[in-house]
Amino acid sequence: MMARFLPILAVAAALVLPLATSNTYFHHLLVLWMLYSLLALSLNIIVGYIGELSFGHAAFFGIGAYTAAILGMNFGFPGFPGLLMAGIVAGAFGFVIGYVALRIEGPQFVILTLGFGSIIFTTTNYWVDLTRGPMGISNIAPLGVGAGFELSSALDYYYLSLLLVVAFAYACHALMLSRTGRAFIAVRENAQLAASLGVDVFRTKLLAFVVATAVAGVAGAIFAHYLTVITPEVMSLNYMVAILIMVIVGGRGTIAGPILGALIYVGLLELLRATGALRMVIFAALLTVSVIFLPGGLVSLWRRFADRSTVRTARQAQVEAGE
Amino acid sequence: MTILSVNTLTKKFGGLTAVSDVDFEVQPGEILGIIGPNGAGKTTLFNMLAGSMQPTSGTVHLKGQNITGMRADRIARLGVARTFQITSLFPALSAHDNVRAATYRTKKTGWMASIFRTATYRAEEADVDRDAMAALHFCDLAGHADDNAESLSYGDQRRLEIAIALAAKPALLLLDEPAAGMNPEEGQRLVNMIRKIRDNGTSVLLVEHHMRVVMGVCDRVVVLDHGEKIAEGTPAAVVDNPDVIRVYLGREAVSA
Amino acid sequence: MEMELVLLTQQIMNGLVNGMTYVLIATGLTLVFGVLHIINFAHGEFYMLGAFFTFFAAKLLGLDYISAGIVATLGVAVLGILANRFFFWPLRKEHEFTVLLSSLGLALLLTNGGELIFGADPKYVASPFADGIVPLGPVIVTQQRMLIFAVGALVLVLLYLFIQKTRMGKMMRATAQNPEGAALTGVDIRRVYTVTFMVACGLAALAGALVGPTAMIFPTVGTWAVLKGFIVVVLGGLGSIPGALIGGLILGVVEALAGGYISMGFAQAIGFSIIIVVLLWRPNGLFGAARRA
Repeated sequence: MMARFLPILAVAAALVLPLATSNTYFHHLLVLWMLYSLLALSLNIIVGYIGELSFGHAAFFGIGAYTAAILGMNFGFPGFPGLLMAGIVAGAFGFVIGYVALRIEGPQFVILTLGFGSIIFTTTNYWVDLTRGPMGISNIAPLGVGAGFELSSALDYYYLSLLLVVAFAYACHALMLSRTGRAFIAVRENAQLAASLGVDVFRTKLLAFVVATAVAGVAGAIFAHYLTVITPEVMSLNYMVAILIMVIVGGRGTIAGPILGALIYVGLLELLRATGALRMVIFAALLTVSVIFLPGGLVSLWRRFADRSTVRTARQAQVEAGE
Repeated sequence: MTILSVNTLTKKFGGLTAVSDVDFEVQPGEILGIIGPNGAGKTTLFNMLAGSMQPTSGTVHLKGQNITGMRADRIARLGVARTFQITSLFPALSAHDNVRAATYRTKKTGWMASIFRTATYRAEEADVDRDAMAALHFCDLAGHADDNAESLSYGDQRRLEIAIALAAKPALLLLDEPAAGMNPEEGQRLVNMIRKIRDNGTSVLLVEHHMRVVMGVCDRVVVLDHGEKIAEGTPAAVVDNPDVIRVYLGREAVSA
Repeated sequence: MEMELVLLTQQIMNGLVNGMTYVLIATGLTLVFGVLHIINFAHGEFYMLGAFFTFFAAKLLGLDYISAGIVATLGVAVLGILANRFFFWPLRKEHEFTVLLSSLGLALLLTNGGELIFGADPKYVASPFADGIVPLGPVIVTQQRMLIFAVGALVLVLLYLFIQKTRMGKMMRATAQNPEGAALTGVDIRRVYTVTFMVACGLAALAGALVGPTAMIFPTVGTWAVLKGFIVVVLGGLGSIPGALIGGLILGVVEALAGGYISMGFAQAIGFSIIIVVLLWRPNGLFGAARRA
């Protein structure tokens, strides 16, 4: 069927997309798209699969970015192992914070994650000795294995992050076809029933949280190496909300949704650059409208279109039953 | 071996004793009913057995293993499945996915195996589908496999709950007022289904209000009143017990 | 009195006054959650609007500070009715996250809309009480801060009487306990929604009008306000008004002490650190009832 080949087509299109132009600014936008896709996909594990709303995700992106930057700067840690370390450090923070916060659910969990995010943001701003404070860290070395092989152009970073997005998207797809993934969804849909079937609800949520935060950390590390500059701004409330917008507007609980959401975010940010402050108003309106009228996000439009025939038959059946 | 053995189980809420020194056993292949008027402590007892409430004192053993006060998910992993008094499903998922989620206990492969599509993973997933379809068939729901749980009729939803519990392949099935809200025809269908479950080797404990269901299906009945066990025996013997007539059937007759 | 002790007393005094600001902000937030089970991310924006309306009412209508503050409070209370009518009432049957996220959208709309309309540059609300000083033994407090404290205390008493004694207050309490049951017994849920939002937004605006003269105001100040509000309500217990009072005062004092003895920068993180510790100890907050996983 069509749906089987769609992902392959999408990957093929993503592979040739940057070749359409040599405009490096366009390539830059593509890199941002891919890094935000990775970030949004990771938040989707929490928001979409286990159904908890986290406002602290930008903090883990930032922790990954700072880990990579500090390890490289202070300890001469090379790039690629640094990515792994960034994931481990962010995941370790995720473990500790998840261990505390996931004991509580609903609105209090949302506010707790907001709290942890704010604490990490504030600490990064004021722990000048380690993080250089609000000025941030600059001159971060590009990713490479020694001096011989380095990622130098935006195109290089695009293909690296595309590779990671495809790999993680596949992992999410496999998750949903696994026993672990069924436990995630069971916890989201009805935690009490899930527990009665033998699912350890807390451990399941914690696993999801740690995976999500670790992947956010890796995305942050690439972001730091790519931009060569990192400031606490990436952990601010604006970023926290931005990632959430990507996941919700694109479509939580799906794989295409967060990637589409990241594209819309990067694209609209660019298109609306001239409008200044109005830009955020438009984003806010987009969030509100999509939450109210399109709770499944933009990807649900496609599904609605694809399902139209089945919906019609269901309705016909109803009519017949009514007669 | 005795499937479930309950000894001097007690639950106190502040000064109030909801369940007091209750003892009983469930034998393999047995259907045990727990009845009693409203407020007799049936639900409290049930919740302690299923792990959603901590007993104040007393013990619960499952096949000789002490499970007193264990968390619900751990008791479930030892082979106890339950249904809920108020319909509890995964409403947004299809009936088939509802039941597939319930195979969690009996399977082992995780996320890694599914990423690499190992042979064990593929074999287990085939099992999951087969077990799920079997449970749906058993509960006459095969025709609704692709329907969302929330779109099913009330009777179908109640049977889907049982299908979910059965897909976990329990040694002991706990049913919390399964006939609540059912019409007589649906009740009869339920009675037949519970018998079939027992015939397939699962012991059943049911807490029930509907006398017709209890009398029709149970091998033995435990009667509670004010948290205490006042009678135990075959349905026929219990119905003739003067205490039972006084506290339960008498009151029912008055209220009916 | 010794210098050290005077300093400490002064800091606790400042903390209590700041805390009363938090109490005013948090009371509306906790009221909306307690009665309607809504987490309103846009609550801080009504605080921001209260401060800006006071500024513009004084500037454009030529009103004195007190009249401007009253006009602003009433104006924002009306906005609260509109926000309920167009945002919250239509979403009353949706999942709590849908409501939470759309209130976040409303917050962003108001902040950035405010920036467009009011401009991003800071404004200063003039008040005749801003510079007057009240000596209280060895410590000093400005008249404005005394006003905040006095009005805050008065408003809490009035709110308490309103909820306990009036018919509307009874309907709100009934709705808080069981919305369906309340509707069945003849409570007009729609009016409960309207009044709750009117009161909550009015309280936020009053806080903005009172606090405006003590600091510069920016369109982004609502974010600050709602974060403080969240800390207070989670600390005190979501939905509990006594909790908001105690929680707000605790937060104010702890922040003042932390700012004085540790560092101003970290004082921001202190509030969140407190609630994390408190929630570990009491998942429901000091006065509330939360669900535990």
